[in-house]
Amino acid sequence: MTNQMLEPITEQTYYLNMGPQHPSTHGVLRLFLKLDGEYIVEADPIIGYGHRGHEKMAESHLYEQFLPNSSRMDYLSGLLFNHGYVAAVEKMAGIEVPPRAEYIRVICAELNRISSHLLWFGTYIMDLGGFTPFLYCFDDRENILDILDHVSGSRLTYSYCRFGGVAKDLDDEFISATRQFIERLRSRWDDYHNLVTKNVIFIHRAKDVGVINRELALRFGCTGPILRGAGVAYDIRKAEPYSVYPELDFEIPTGTAGDALDRYMVRLQEMEQSLRIVEQALDRLPDGPIKAAVPHKVRPPKGDYYFAVESARGALGFYIVSDGTSYPYRLKARVPSYGNLQVLTDVLPGTLVADTISILGSIDIVVPEVDR
Amino acid sequence: MGMVKDIFVGGWSLLAGMWVTIRRIYRPVVTVQYPRRYLEMSPSYRGHIEFKSFPETGTHNCVACGTCMRFCPTNVIKVQGEKIHTHSEKRASLYFIDFSHCSLCGLCVVNCPTQTLQFSDEYDMAHFSRWDGVVDLIRRLEESA
Repeated sequence: MTNQMLEPITEQTYYLNMGPQHPSTHGVLRLFLKLDGEYIVEADPIIGYGHRGHEKMAESHLYEQFLPNSSRMDYLSGLLFNHGYVAAVEKMAGIEVPPRAEYIRVICAELNRISSHLLWFGTYIMDLGGFTPFLYCFDDRENILDILDHVSGSRLTYSYCRFGGVAKDLDDEFISATRQFIERLRSRWDDYHNLVTKNVIFIHRAKDVGVINRELALRFGCTGPILRGAGVAYDIRKAEPYSVYPELDFEIPTGTAGDALDRYMVRLQEMEQSLRIVEQALDRLPDGPIKAAVPHKVRPPKGDYYFAVESARGALGFYIVSDGTSYPYRLKARVPSYGNLQVLTDVLPGTLVADTISILGSIDIVVPEVDR
Repeated sequence: MGMVKDIFVGGWSLLAGMWVTIRRIYRPVVTVQYPRRYLEMSPSYRGHIEFKSFPETGTHNCVACGTCMRFCPTNVIKVQGEKIHTHSEKRASLYFIDFSHCSLCGLCVVNCPTQTLQFSDEYDMAHFSRWDGVVDLIRRLEESA
């Protein structure tokens, strides 16, 4: 089906703006489409509508003061961004984090990853026209938000990780609620698979749609479920292990063809792996302090540092240049959605307009993260 | 033959999906009818900051050092202090926050040297004017006492 209409039959092509205000673009993204009838000839994602200058803002803020900004870049996996930024600064300043704090970070980060994937699951199926699964997974996601709210006091933009540890200790209520949630979500997989994965309409709309193969994914610097869906088992948690991930046992699910169905399956399996990580981390949770002694103002030594974590959408890196003061000289966030979005220029041509929504949904972008 | 099988398998998958939704009708309702019923806030919920009242003094312990003001990333806090007489300790005479700019990072609470700040459980802060987001913490403490 793809690429068969690349040569326009007539010269009557026209341009269509999808977005910036379109209900299925997941934020203020403008797709500039050149169309030949129902087929796309050229696609150009235009970004920058949600630019807030986070990187520039960092230069005039203390290292501590940038903390709330980190979760506002990607509001769906705020804790993972929090973790990435905090761990980058800890690496710069040479701060040792107590083991309990590391475990708490991993537990909360993985819960956040599941909540992000659940939201993607709901909105992706809604893009394809199914409204019911959206409500079911929001029910489950609500449970995670309640759990994270219990410990961090916030539901979306957690400033939970602090330099040298975390803001608040876990209590027994959190641990029992998390264990209940693991049971609950595992009992839901059957429903999800019966409702969506095996659904013939869903399979027809996702199989062989938006194929991002290995070469394309590597060329555009795609990471996360897109790269893994194309069959490359690359995950920062395994490739450049950080925190306590080396001690935990989990697998990296991969796909084969790199179509929307593969990315869907990879994300569903990733949620199950995240549940495994949370379960193991809860079992091994050590006692001890949750925060190391850190000065009020962190002053990392001169130099430039890079630290990467695996966010829900792929590799997230913070590159920070320090000039020895308590303000970063330069901060650059390498966000996963940026590369994942640019691949659309190569994937969309030759597909139908109706599939644009499916492809855009399947790559799971968060536009404020691209714009920052 | 393959087409007949496809139709059968496809039709069955739709029925299986229907069955999931039908079963859901008989599960308990998960939503809360908001204006009639309220959810309990989590114990660590972060609303805007407020003064803690210390039982020894019966009031807050703010010495108007301005640490919170300097640490705030968005300049939400305005604090001024005065001395009652020359040799007395400085006390906060004015403490305003503009909650509409606050990102609830908690740096003021963490860095307060006298531990006199805490998060309130205020959550329905929708207003008509931007000035309604301005909170006078000293007055708030006096009113709550």
